[in-house]
Amino acid sequence: MKKFLIDTYIILKEELRILIRNPFWVFIGLFEPVVYLLLFMPFLKGVTSAPGFPAESTSRFFVPGLIVMTAMFNSSYSGFGVLDLLENGFIERLRVTPVNRLSLVLGFVLQSVIVLLIQSIIICIISLFFGYSPSFTGLVLLFLLVLLIAITLSSISYSIAFLVKDGGMLASVINFFVLPLFLLSGIMLPLSFAPKIIQGIAMVNPFTYAVNASRFLSDGLIAQNTVVIAFILFIILSILTLQWFIRVMKETVA
Amino acid sequence: MKRKLPVSIRNSPIPSFKQLNCIVISLTKKYIMNDIVIEVNQLRKIFSSGKRKSKSVEAVKGIDFNVTKGEIFGLLGPNGAGKTTTLRILCTLISPTGGNINILGYDLAKYQKEIRNNIGYVSQKGGLELRSTGRENLILQARLYGMSNIEAEDRAEYLIEKLELQSFADRKAKTFSGGQKRLFDLSAGIIHTPKILFLDEPTTGLDPQSRSHIWNEVTKLHDEGTTIILTTHYLEEADVLCSRVAIINLGKIVELDNPAVLKRKIISGDIITLNFENGISLQTASGLLSSESFVKEIKTVDTLLHVYVDEGDSALPLVMSVLHKNNLSIQTVSLSRPTLDDVFLKLTGRKLIDEKE
Repeated sequence: MKKFLIDTYIILKEELRILIRNPFWVFIGLFEPVVYLLLFMPFLKGVTSAPGFPAESTSRFFVPGLIVMTAMFNSSYSGFGVLDLLENGFIERLRVTPVNRLSLVLGFVLQSVIVLLIQSIIICIISLFFGYSPSFTGLVLLFLLVLLIAITLSSISYSIAFLVKDGGMLASVINFFVLPLFLLSGIMLPLSFAPKIIQGIAMVNPFTYAVNASRFLSDGLIAQNTVVIAFILFIILSILTLQWFIRVMKETVA
Repeated sequence: MKRKLPVSIRNSPIPSFKQLNCIVISLTKKYIMNDIVIEVNQLRKIFSSGKRKSKSVEAVKGIDFNVTKGEIFGLLGPNGAGKTTTLRILCTLISPTGGNINILGYDLAKYQKEIRNNIGYVSQKGGLELRSTGRENLILQARLYGMSNIEAEDRAEYLIEKLELQSFADRKAKTFSGGQKRLFDLSAGIIHTPKILFLDEPTTGLDPQSRSHIWNEVTKLHDEGTTIILTTHYLEEADVLCSRVAIINLGKIVELDNPAVLKRKIISGDIITLNFENGISLQTASGLLSSESFVKEIKTVDTLLHVYVDEGDSALPLVMSVLHKNNLSIQTVSLSRPTLDDVFLKLTGRKLIDEKE
């Protein structure tokens, strides 16, 4: 157990050390959400008064969803970070060592998780200037949910990167899945605006629950069915996807 | 009530002390005195891409070999022969489709962790983290084998001094030259003083000076008692370094022996190589010469005709006179002693290094 923790720490530290030398990427990942905050959120002003809009202020509605959105996009692109490591044989070098496969997997996944948490905190701080006033406990839980989403999506992204080993392929596979999931999760506009059929489809999208839960949590409403469902869903998904990544790590032909 | 013994045991005589002794000795011979460190039996690997069977490729088609402690064992063959696949299976990187492998007494199918602890692997690509320095790469590698931070730093420093890497050890790996990179790859591979070291094409793409530097280090490791298995498509490399060479072609071992023995066994005598102006004269000459008594064998490669003879010095004038009599003009002619290249050509009908590459 001790060896397992040390190994995970060594790999995580190595990945973070490289990241700290090049912190540019943390900020690149913030560009998109900030642009949405500045250039999209103002548009919502006009629809808050529309019948069926769930919140009184735009920031209460949009910022929690924006945090989930950042988690969705940024962690699902984390696979790009390992493409060159696969290419130059570094991953293979790790795989020949006696290090536990779970440590290898967690080293990479936790790096993405840490980056994402830093980004989420920065988004929250910026949002405070746009009238966002979340509940503190709710926010802590929201970050926990973001952590689970990050584990799930970065595991998937890494696994696909290991399997396709090609940037173009990885981008198209990711877009193919993430874009519809994003549009069907009610981040941009309330799902109540959508036709019944789309609402129906959205009900089988786990991110719909995550987005709804994120709004409850930032309002401080913790004891909600949606919140519980979102956590259960993403605990299961993160375990399954981690297991997939371990299997890929064990078997890929790099 | 007395229990009946199974028939097979009842009828077999109890082994005498002497017989038992014999069994122990033979086992000892196999595993300790001969010190077999790697045993490969009927190794097969099929890569299936997609679900259709037609797309699957059989990269390794049932190969057997043993490696004894302290030897440098070479896997020689052209690109795509199955060398790297074999090596990657032995290093626990990919699982075999069939066959048994035993490394240092551990069954590969069950004891991967134990095997990983005792082997080092230097892949074709090397695997340095290019954004880190050479030294940082070594320290990371040492840490992954369970050394503490201080131990890892000491070990990295020791290897940097031993392989004389001081002048560039603290530069980013991406600034390294091919040779410098390879030396660090090698250092990372031996950071934990493995019992067996696997080298996948250790000198491919290196200049002659770097190549001999690597050869020196490999020889030193060999002198220290490390068992080394390397793949190469340079015959010179196999010739210089290896105690035994397995020649692999299309996923099978075609021949396995000491390089010197291989050369003698496969080709006794010399080779006359003739270069013709056109294919027609080559065909005619091939037909004419094959009926001559002094010619042992003839092989055609592109526009070249290889004539295998016992005594090159005396056969050359005879060959020339046959060609002259039939008005066949040649562009060049050369006489050579057999190299492993010729061994390979003779065994497989293929050249080891594709000239188009």
